[in-house]
Amino acid sequence: MRVFSAAVLVTLLAASAARAQTVGGLPDWSGVWQMVGGTVFDRATQAGQGGALSHGVRERPPYNAEWEKRYQRNLKLRDEDHLPDPINTCGTPAGFPRIFNVPDTLEFVVRPEQTWILTENGPNVVRFYTDGRQHPAPEDRWPTYTGDSVGHWEGDTLVVDTVSIRNSNYPEAGDTVLDRTGLILSDAAHIVTRIRKTPDDMIEVRLTIEDPKALTMPWNVTKTFRRMPKGTRVYDYACAENNRNPVDAATGRTLILGPDGKPLGVQK
Amino acid sequence: MRHLIAAILVGTALVAGAQTLSAHHAGTMFDEEQTKELTGTIKEFQFTNPHSWIQVIVESKPGEAPKEWSIEWGSPNQLARQGVRPTTFKAGSKVTIKVHPMRDGSPAGSFVAAKFEDGTNIGRWE
Repeated sequence: MRVFSAAVLVTLLAASAARAQTVGGLPDWSGVWQMVGGTVFDRATQAGQGGALSHGVRERPPYNAEWEKRYQRNLKLRDEDHLPDPINTCGTPAGFPRIFNVPDTLEFVVRPEQTWILTENGPNVVRFYTDGRQHPAPEDRWPTYTGDSVGHWEGDTLVVDTVSIRNSNYPEAGDTVLDRTGLILSDAAHIVTRIRKTPDDMIEVRLTIEDPKALTMPWNVTKTFRRMPKGTRVYDYACAENNRNPVDAATGRTLILGPDGKPLGVQK
Repeated sequence: MRHLIAAILVGTALVAGAQTLSAHHAGTMFDEEQTKELTGTIKEFQFTNPHSWIQVIVESKPGEAPKEWSIEWGSPNQLARQGVRPTTFKAGSKVTIKVHPMRDGSPAGSFVAAKFEDGTNIGRWE
């Protein structure tokens, strides 16, 4: 009996400790996280060696012919070093789903009514509403960088439904990309994201992307995030603080400003 | 201090491999196949986003005026985790810095490594 009581006590203490770290029985995703691998969005279909900026690297979304052509246009510009990253303006958000494809730290703030993702780089924030609300009616919503996301919990998995992201005809002004290869989606994209913490203490994000304008079938992408050391601090990333790399609108190239604030040389 | 430099050394080696993924912009204006060594005096260390900049007054040949170079490094969040601080490059200190220079010959480059007068160094000196 004494042994049994001790076991019960240990179990109760453990449960109590777990409760102390979470809200409303939701999983504990506290801490600071970092994306595994480089910023090629869909590494599972990557062709070519290197990172998103390496010439020849591309991914294989199930694009239809028209959007494959648009992607190839961006790839060509990237290979000529003429594809500026829209976030280099230090003003526009990375948006959705690129929020899962940024370097530096991520934090997941889980509350019963809402989950936030905060990224150091940018910085960026996205909100996943889990208070039972639905997407606004089509006439009451418009495309934005982060789109509109509503979600619910299935056990320890957060399931999020996202619509109303911006149509991308990048590199047209104001449009955006998923990564620096020039990967793009249309405003018809509908993304279902399943987020959970795996037994090996990783955050796993599984995206199913449907896009009747751009894709011929659903596109599945998985991103994973590893825990950074306990006590890791998150810092400012005030991109406009000292941006000495404006994009030359005429050429699409990134400039370097000298100490007098004027561009150094002209890129060939 | 020795621990700090060691941490920077290891950390920079780690970041060097990840440079292209975490950089604010494409590094194509720098010639990564060339490494140039500059000797001079620190004018200013701009420990700022999205990139830090080391401004160095570089000694020239006799009879030529010294020239100011702009050397680009990482963002403070990444550098801070490797032990870099705003005081890492103090104004007035003598330094030799290795950079990947601009392709067009402008007085700028991306940071590779630095060696101070006391023999300590930062980055991939080798």
